[in-house]
Amino acid sequence: MNAFELIRLAISRLSTSRLRAVLTMLGVIIGVGSIVALVAVAQGATSGITDRIQGLGTNLLTVSPGATRSGFTRNAAGSATTLTVEDASAISAVSGVAAVAPELSTQKVVIAGLQNETTSIIGTTPAYLEVRTYTMWQGSFLNQAAVDGSLRVAVIGATTADNLGLDGTSIGQTISVGGIPFQLVGIMQPKGSSGITSQDDEVLIPLTTAQHYFVGTDKVRTISVSVASADQIDTTQSNLTVLLEQRHGTNGTNDDFSITSQAQLLSTFSSITGLLTVLLGGIASISLLVGGIGIMNIMLVSVRERTREIGIRKAIGARNSDILFQFLIEALVLSLLGGLIGILVGVLVSALIGTIAGWGFIFNPFTVVVAVGFSLVVGVVFGVWPARQAARLDPIASLRYE
Amino acid sequence: MAETLFAPAEPGPFGSPAPVDGAPVPVIELRGVTRIYSSGRLEVAALRGVDLDVWQGDFLAIVGPSGSGKSTMMNIIGCLDRPTAGSYRLGGTPIEQLSDDDLARVRGRAIGFVFQSFNLLPRTSAIENVATPLLYQGVARKDRYARAQAALERLGLGDRMDHEPSELSGGQQQRVAIARALVTEPALILADEPTGNLDSQSGADVITLLHELNDAGTTIVLITHDSDVAVEARRQVHVRDGLLV
Repeated sequence: MNAFELIRLAISRLSTSRLRAVLTMLGVIIGVGSIVALVAVAQGATSGITDRIQGLGTNLLTVSPGATRSGFTRNAAGSATTLTVEDASAISAVSGVAAVAPELSTQKVVIAGLQNETTSIIGTTPAYLEVRTYTMWQGSFLNQAAVDGSLRVAVIGATTADNLGLDGTSIGQTISVGGIPFQLVGIMQPKGSSGITSQDDEVLIPLTTAQHYFVGTDKVRTISVSVASADQIDTTQSNLTVLLEQRHGTNGTNDDFSITSQAQLLSTFSSITGLLTVLLGGIASISLLVGGIGIMNIMLVSVRERTREIGIRKAIGARNSDILFQFLIEALVLSLLGGLIGILVGVLVSALIGTIAGWGFIFNPFTVVVAVGFSLVVGVVFGVWPARQAARLDPIASLRYE
Repeated sequence: MAETLFAPAEPGPFGSPAPVDGAPVPVIELRGVTRIYSSGRLEVAALRGVDLDVWQGDFLAIVGPSGSGKSTMMNIIGCLDRPTAGSYRLGGTPIEQLSDDDLARVRGRAIGFVFQSFNLLPRTSAIENVATPLLYQGVARKDRYARAQAALERLGLGDRMDHEPSELSGGQQQRVAIARALVTEPALILADEPTGNLDSQSGADVITLLHELNDAGTTIVLITHDSDVAVEARRQVHVRDGLLV
């Protein structure tokens, strides 16, 4: 008997009880499907986060205030407001720095016509556009004159524009920010990156205007620094650290600020998402294991039920190995077919989730190879024992089995 | 293991019986065959030294009540079991030393079984049932079906080839079983109470069929407790308490 005949025999035997075969495969379908889907989802989330971080700006360093101390208690990072506008101007003199954009931020209600929305109001300088790699869609960005004169002009993000019902014809119109009238001078292109918090929902006003009307101090939330080229990031980062330590009178052990680079953010996130992928894959593998045990269970029942069939086959010339391979291949067909259906289901589910979440369809052939390999292993591991049971049956006893 | 499974079938031990100068070899030759079943300390001798010769073209009935040892004889003659002591030659080939795989090959090629309870594969069409012994001999698919069809047609079941056993009457099922026994062109047909589950008309048909096969040259061994069936054979041997009487 060749392999082809055995496969044909296995399929014809399985098709005599289709419902049972499908139910048996269900465990493997769910196992393989969830491995494929979860790994794709984890990878999609990873690439979504990576895109977002890269979308923050190229060669970006972010200077954030450090943690405050109240007595012996260290408060959360960023709770201090130790960075000032003067720090920002000092930073712009450091070599390797291409542009500096200090950011002051607050939350205010913005009203345009009958629409209103509470969103982030960010006071910044013209460098913001370049540092954070935004592009303009309509109108123009804040200019130096607006900052120098503390003008009440505003540039809004694409999402904010949508929410407020504003478009290209609205440039020049007056909108209310925190109850104060501002002239809308520009709308930015959406960044197109996805995520939970949008980079496209914000209102940008001149730094000085924000200080004057909303914040009242020269403390800034963050200072975004664009480095001239990627290979200067590390040296620029240490130069900035030295500069700020001098200015703040700290010495490295009690710094009241922190500087993070995009690369650090990326590696932090990719280690998190890598862990997530392994975790989700691991959980899904457990369901594949359970699916495999399901196959073994059904094959054992099947051997018991078909004892007489086995006896007949042996009487008419089947060798033990013929019986062994018949049952083993039935288990393999179940697990492989289940695996293939599972891949299909997993790909569909991950495409669906990817579409909803916005990172699109991610197909990793490696996952498919692993999933097929896993189902093969499951079939062999959980099929061998029942098949051996079948092969070892005594023909005389099997023929009399009722 | 894969090699033995997928290698093309070799000629079985029965394929070419060594001709002994002039003297014909009996199909079955039992000499002092003993079979002892032991379970724990208890030993039961089902056969206690049986001598038997069956020649080509013979039609022998082995007759005995239940518990006489006739089922054990049928298992040994059918190569489903090995004697505890004594020798069994099938077509001149000693059976005692054969491996399980060789026994399976002998069963497939040299013996055709007809059982009381038909023992057809369930949910499997008649032609598939008849073709299955050829599957285990490595016969190509096309040939298998051609030979299975020929066997079924010979038994008047040409219009029932696609029926499953559950769609056939008892008499038809037994004829499918006989077709399955014949399809390998065995040296011997071993029929174990072939009429036991049939009504008298179907039973008579089966006996007629066995006569026809025997007339055509097939060696038949019939095992029965029913003396009305046994008289149909050319020759009878009676088994009592593990001995031929």
